[in-house]
Amino acid sequence: MPIFEAQNLHKRFGDQVVLEDISLSFEANRLAGIMGPNGAGKTTCFNVLTGRYKPDRGRVRFQGKDITGWPPRSIARLGIARSFQTMSLFDEYTALENVLIAVPEVRALGFHGLRDLGAESQSIDKASEVLRRVGLAGLEYKPASSLPYGQRRALEIAIALAAEPKLLFLDEPTSGLGSDATARLADLIRAIRQDLTIVVIEHDMRFLFGLADTISVIHWGQVIAQGTPEELRANKWVQASNLGALA
Amino acid sequence: MDRLGARLRAWVTGPMLLSLAVFGTLPLWIEQIGLYQYLGVEIIIWVIFALAVNLLLGYTGLPPFGHGAFLGIGAYAFGLTQFNVIDNLWISLIGAVVVTGAIGGVTALFLSHRRGIYFALMTIAFAQIFFFIASKWSNVTGGEDGLLNIARLPADFGVAAFDLSSNIELYYFCFAVYTVLVVLLWRLVHSPFGKVVRAIKQNESRVSFVGYNVYLYKWVVFTLSCAISGLAGALFAMAQEGAYIQIMSLQWSGIVILMILIGGGFVSFWGPVLGVGLYFIARDILGAYTEAWLLWFGLMFVILVMFKPEGLAGIWQDLTRRFEARGPRKRVNLGTVLRR
Amino acid sequence: MIDFAYGLLPHILNGLALGLLFALLALGFMLIINVMEVINLAHGSLFGLGAYMALVFLAPDGGLPFEFMEPFYALPVAPRYVIALIFGPLAVAGVGMGLELCLRRTYGMDPLYGLLLTFGAAMVLEELIREIWGPAEYFLPIPRGISGGFIFGDLIYSTYRIYAAVFSIGMIGLLWLFLEKTPYGAIIKAGAHDSEMVRALGYNLRRLRLYVFGFGAALAAIAGIIMAPIWGVRPHVGIDAVIPAFVVVVMGGVGSFWGAVSAGVMVGMVVALTAAFLTEWSLLSMYLLLLLVVTLRPRGFAGRASVLER
Repeated sequence: MPIFEAQNLHKRFGDQVVLEDISLSFEANRLAGIMGPNGAGKTTCFNVLTGRYKPDRGRVRFQGKDITGWPPRSIARLGIARSFQTMSLFDEYTALENVLIAVPEVRALGFHGLRDLGAESQSIDKASEVLRRVGLAGLEYKPASSLPYGQRRALEIAIALAAEPKLLFLDEPTSGLGSDATARLADLIRAIRQDLTIVVIEHDMRFLFGLADTISVIHWGQVIAQGTPEELRANKWVQASNLGALA
Repeated sequence: MDRLGARLRAWVTGPMLLSLAVFGTLPLWIEQIGLYQYLGVEIIIWVIFALAVNLLLGYTGLPPFGHGAFLGIGAYAFGLTQFNVIDNLWISLIGAVVVTGAIGGVTALFLSHRRGIYFALMTIAFAQIFFFIASKWSNVTGGEDGLLNIARLPADFGVAAFDLSSNIELYYFCFAVYTVLVVLLWRLVHSPFGKVVRAIKQNESRVSFVGYNVYLYKWVVFTLSCAISGLAGALFAMAQEGAYIQIMSLQWSGIVILMILIGGGFVSFWGPVLGVGLYFIARDILGAYTEAWLLWFGLMFVILVMFKPEGLAGIWQDLTRRFEARGPRKRVNLGTVLRR
Repeated sequence: MIDFAYGLLPHILNGLALGLLFALLALGFMLIINVMEVINLAHGSLFGLGAYMALVFLAPDGGLPFEFMEPFYALPVAPRYVIALIFGPLAVAGVGMGLELCLRRTYGMDPLYGLLLTFGAAMVLEELIREIWGPAEYFLPIPRGISGGFIFGDLIYSTYRIYAAVFSIGMIGLLWLFLEKTPYGAIIKAGAHDSEMVRALGYNLRRLRLYVFGFGAALAAIAGIIMAPIWGVRPHVGIDAVIPAFVVVVMGGVGSFWGAVSAGVMVGMVVALTAAFLTEWSLLSMYLLLLLVVTLRPRGFAGRASVLER
């Protein structure tokens, strides 16, 4: 059974239908990609899947549980984390603090008004470890606002990772990155994909085709193609629509 | 030994001890500089109120423009408890805190889903509504005349009792309240709860996506801020020996916002303290030369928002940072980071 | 029952006049929001300042002690009133533009700072008014022709309210014509949605913002002058003016001209009819309305999250 399923999602804004009868499913421990031109509805789709918007019709299920319309915080607590395309960091906080807030043990301490967070060595170690995995070791005490773009991108993903999710949604993670950084990001994703289900929205087809087990193509608010990268290369829609050439 | 030091530093800091020293000795020197004892009482009560408001403004990033209403509610609740329940100091203080906290909690139900302009204007609306109730419900509140003859009840600890009728005695009681509060509040803003709240200020949406119930956190901060404001209001009722509606006006609510930003509440726990001090300096010292002192205070606020929203504490931090840059490199570790 | 409804007519007129003034005030507020994405909390103080500017022209005792104005004050009220209606708003427009210049510093920052700046500006303006004119409430002299009342069908109507309503309709109409039919209006409307395009067309966006702010301030001042005989001229009228402006914009929708007008009339009706039955509650009704409107309003969803959401 797929770990995550969306069935017949329908979403409109005003009189514009953005998602029309979209069904997707993601298998556990696989990396799935979502692709499509701008304005196709993939961002909206992502937002519906992660709880930012409620679908007008349709159901979303995680591990069999119906999570349609659940608020983001409840979805997060089930073990689903996401990163954002337009970076969503805590700019006044250091890299360590950014990540620390997502650690489940810290989240459990949430309403504790008297404890000293500095004494929570286990959580701090976990946070430092996540920073190391994304390549930010040594930058723990740098304010997030002072980091260059590439490192901010890494931090963006680190926050999602720190929550120890079962399912990780990445929203255009290569956005604005040069080829070196993109390659490093691909390595990172390969390193973490072991016990994790990952769903990636991407523009960069080379990146996605190199990593994904299956890819869904969304255009005009609908899923117009679905399959492995090989199958999609042969797909006439993918070839016809201006999604770029593959090396 | 270092562990003990670290644990101690989590609760008490240099600036805190300095403030305790300054406020603790205030009655001894305030008259030497040409001021008067009652001013000390006013200052310390406003410091408590400003610290409570800064929980919302500086730490959560929510602008409460009508919080003076809760100061007034606390004052009235204190007086009413004293008159109608029992004239015991502790019961009356608890009454003030509980009533103001409860009303704050109900208000917060409307506010916890908002921020920015909606939040600000709703706090104004509530303040005006409370002001209206206080001025019309004359049977209970005394209306325009206020609730008179509120007594400075003695502080009875069982083993010893302290009369609080003189300004100096009342001041020290307020100072004791300040001491307890400042230690607890410092710990609170540096605790996990405080960290989440400060994260909400920076990026409310992300905090929600990480799994926190942001609305609940905002509700708790607002209610807590109201409860502490109620306590300040009770002390104020004792100071004035009455509860009046003037304190609930929007002007006073606005003045505390000016105080907080000017002092540097956005970047420092002690910003509100500095701001309150500066306000009273402006009022009593500048005020001796010109009637327009509040205008100057307001202009200072506007200029600081434009050029240095970090306020006086921010300017101080810049100076000390420059000083440190020349001196030996300070070790940046987790402790220093978590205690900002 | 008919008598009751009939007896309401003067109050309905009052509500209409008040509502149209609220609409005018809100339209200025809305223009500023649309073009600059700034919630101008000082809008109410500019409204109040307008009334005080009018005072300078109309009331020698309440105005400034400018001896050289003596011959001016010798003129009858009516021409001075017209002059006040022209130069008062111009002066306030200047103040508004000054405020916009100050706000420029906060454009890149967290929106909270812009909010605090206009809040501070509101306080400064009100203190300034208090310093110059004192805390007492003033009475604004108006030409005989538009004051007093008249009897129509057994009921007494206030002449001034009719004048206020007609004047507001005229101003709203002029504003609509300006926005719809003139190139400047088109630029302003474009500036709301597409600052890139405006810049690409060669218009100076910064200058546009400056003028729109001044224009919005002038509208507030005009509303303030017309409202003065109804609400009185006092320093802290500012907040009582910002609240209806905000309620109207939220009810009518940011960016909707006729939405603002209809919402304005609705709010005016609520306030006036409350005044008819529960006089003391009339101002309070505005605050209750704010709570109601904000609590019940649909949450912003993506695509067009308004600046109010930030």
